[in-house]
Amino acid sequence: MNLYALLFLVTGLGVIAWLTGRARAARYGAASKHRLHSLPGQHGLYVAMWTVIPALFFVIIWSIFTPNLATEAVLRDPQAFALPAFGYEREAVLNEIRARAAGSEYGFYPAAEQLAPVYLQASRFYSWIGTGIAILLAFACGAFAYTRIRADFRARTRVERTVMLALLVASLIAILTTLGIFLSLLFESLRFFAMVPITDFLFGTTWSPQVIDPADPGATLGAVPLFWGTFFIGAVIAMLVAIPFGLMSAIYLTQYAKPVVRKWMKPMLEILAGVPTVVYGYFAALTVGPAIRDFAVSLGFTYASSESALAAGLVMGVMIIPFVSSMADDSIAAVPSAMRDGSLAMGATSSETIRKVLLPAALPGVVAGVLLAVSRAIGETMIVVMAASGAANITANPFESATTVTKQIVDLLTGEAEFDSPKTLAAFALGLTLFLITFLLNIVALRVVKKYREAYD
Amino acid sequence: MTDAVGFRAPTDWKTDAMQKRIRKRYRAERRFRALGLAAVAMSAAFLIFLLAVMVGNGAAGFMRTEVALPIDFKAAPLDIDRAQLATRGADLALAGAGLQDRVATAATAAFGEKGEELIAENAWTAVRDAIKADPNLLSQRAHVWVPASSDLDAAADGGGEPAMQAEVRKLRERGALQSGFNAGFLSRADSTDPTAVGIWGAFKGSLLTMLVTLLIAFPIGVLSAVYLEEYAPKNRWTDLIEVSINNLAAVPSIIFGLLGLAVFLGTFGLPRSAPLVGGLTLALMIMPVIVIAGRNAIKAVPPSIRDAALGIGASRVQVVFHHVLPLALPGILTGTIIGMARALGETAPLLLIGMRAFIVTPPGGVFDPATVLPVQIFLWSDEVSRGFIEKTSAAIIVLLVFLLAMNALAIYLRNRFETRW
Repeated sequence: MNLYALLFLVTGLGVIAWLTGRARAARYGAASKHRLHSLPGQHGLYVAMWTVIPALFFVIIWSIFTPNLATEAVLRDPQAFALPAFGYEREAVLNEIRARAAGSEYGFYPAAEQLAPVYLQASRFYSWIGTGIAILLAFACGAFAYTRIRADFRARTRVERTVMLALLVASLIAILTTLGIFLSLLFESLRFFAMVPITDFLFGTTWSPQVIDPADPGATLGAVPLFWGTFFIGAVIAMLVAIPFGLMSAIYLTQYAKPVVRKWMKPMLEILAGVPTVVYGYFAALTVGPAIRDFAVSLGFTYASSESALAAGLVMGVMIIPFVSSMADDSIAAVPSAMRDGSLAMGATSSETIRKVLLPAALPGVVAGVLLAVSRAIGETMIVVMAASGAANITANPFESATTVTKQIVDLLTGEAEFDSPKTLAAFALGLTLFLITFLLNIVALRVVKKYREAYD
Repeated sequence: MTDAVGFRAPTDWKTDAMQKRIRKRYRAERRFRALGLAAVAMSAAFLIFLLAVMVGNGAAGFMRTEVALPIDFKAAPLDIDRAQLATRGADLALAGAGLQDRVATAATAAFGEKGEELIAENAWTAVRDAIKADPNLLSQRAHVWVPASSDLDAAADGGGEPAMQAEVRKLRERGALQSGFNAGFLSRADSTDPTAVGIWGAFKGSLLTMLVTLLIAFPIGVLSAVYLEEYAPKNRWTDLIEVSINNLAAVPSIIFGLLGLAVFLGTFGLPRSAPLVGGLTLALMIMPVIVIAGRNAIKAVPPSIRDAALGIGASRVQVVFHHVLPLALPGILTGTIIGMARALGETAPLLLIGMRAFIVTPPGGVFDPATVLPVQIFLWSDEVSRGFIEKTSAAIIVLLVFLLAMNALAIYLRNRFETRW
């Protein structure tokens, strides 16, 4: 039976359980001398929970195991003894069997064509067994809960305890995700570092994953050019655009602008923040890149590339402006107005007040905002994928091309390489580095912000 | 005592030196102010320039150039049974009768040797649809409007090669060129021919992905927000959860792609390129956004509401689910829509989990291979054929329209339903 139908069926049983449980509790309430401890609806929920939750758990676990069970059945088939014993080819045949069973018409291995019906039959068999057990489970647990309904049964307490458990589980998912990211990156990176020495990766200055020497894969997997490119594009060029523009926009909008201007300009900055990065990337590649190359050539830099570091960095900087602006806005607003009023009362002009009083007082917040902006810029992917080049140069010339960690992750993982090669695993090592650096930046920035907020509270 | 304080004569503001100094200070003030205005104006100018470039390039993507193709079925009838045209097999029957070749020869006959290069590869399907709509065409000498090839299309827009521009002039003189709304762009899927591409396939992929994202991120996000704001005890675990959420909100999106690749595809063995995996990955990415927005909305509900509900005997769960949550819902929905808008525009993590496949049929379910709108934009931007530039920009316009609509909805919800206490 198909998964959707089964889920639908279990949900339907849950609704029926809710109705019957509620009706039974209502009858008890009418017949008994005592008042019901819980409302009939809560009794209904109690029965419905017992009916649905165990069955759902079973369905999910069963649907994870069914493909493996069916594969086992295929391997028990006499025809399967002729399959290659281990390794890549056996997996390929098994994959093709699964694809054929799912309805694919194309194939490469004749064995797969013979074995596909076996697989289909086995998976149907197991899916029917699963359906049967799920329905039985739903009925059995539902009936158990149904028999427990009494006038003094504390259904509400139990339902609420389940709700609390659900709340706790939901909030643990955040920790699980963080752990999942860290562990999966770490695990794949360790496999990478088993093939490539970590010192080669962290300190090597040659990056060309297209030509990996199997004897010494570390020789062409040195990530220093990527770290430099990421730093140069994300933390230097982009910040040279984003910090002055973002800071000055925030100052103008909070200190000078008339309400009308503010009313129109703030949403404009929000739109700038809401434009998808792929659009910025396309704009950088189509318009900004060639324009900068022409400009550089007219200056005499004949080698200038249309995939220059400057094009990607400039557009990335514009993307970050609203972010810097809103962080600066927050920290300027957090400065007590007494400081501003005091300065103005002493005869300082507005700009003197801003430069000599507000900004120094807001500096920790602004710095934290800049750190978060840097973390965002070095993790930005689409702009560099579309507008920066893949050539890993260590250069401080903005008209030359540079590449970044994120661009290389995308390039490494979208090729047709197998999962176990150093080339693919290198992407995870890069990912781990990126994760750790942004994590560090975020933690430091959040600390600074928190400490600073307390100072004026 | 008084001796310790030095005496200074009051400043004479009228002296030249002081006047000069004040003028200098005021000049600095005006300069600073102008710098601020310039910063805002530059940001605005950039946004306007970006939108103008996209609209300028993309407007042509919604239009297509059509050529009037004379085709004479009277002189050389198509070998086909008229009765078949009313049946479901009409497409097959017409294809089997060699319509594609007939259209090609008609183009050569009408426009000379290079005639075939003037009409799109799929031009014969336009003739096919015309015949199905009016079977009488089969016994006439007819003019059918067929889509132009992408080279001719570019030339008609003023670009392209000189040879094609000459053809455009010739066709214009004969009145055999028109431009019309390209309805197929909104109803078709990807293709290798820029005149035949559409965004419906990618758009449907986006819809399915967003559905999965919403179904997972919304409940989990709201429940976490409720737990953290209403029930969580102050201890290490709670701190850890808060740190994780704040940190996840700032993790680069591509890292979530790596997580999806390693865990959902690698460990769980879910199908590549499926909206299910894309939705799961994006759900993890926007969950922190919903949690943070949800917590702020719940925090804004005044404690008196909780006290009143507790006072008349509601349990702590009832207080939250019957009273606090409904009042906080507009704020939570606003945060959710903003998070969903972010997910809709996200590209990088989906590239890593394989949603960059070339998909010519719209996906039928969450397990089918699919692509999404931003990834489609990325794929088209990589194409060398010039016809794809306007299609890419047109797809960007569609994406931006949807994002703007979602943000407008969020702002409307916030203004309409949010209560201020």
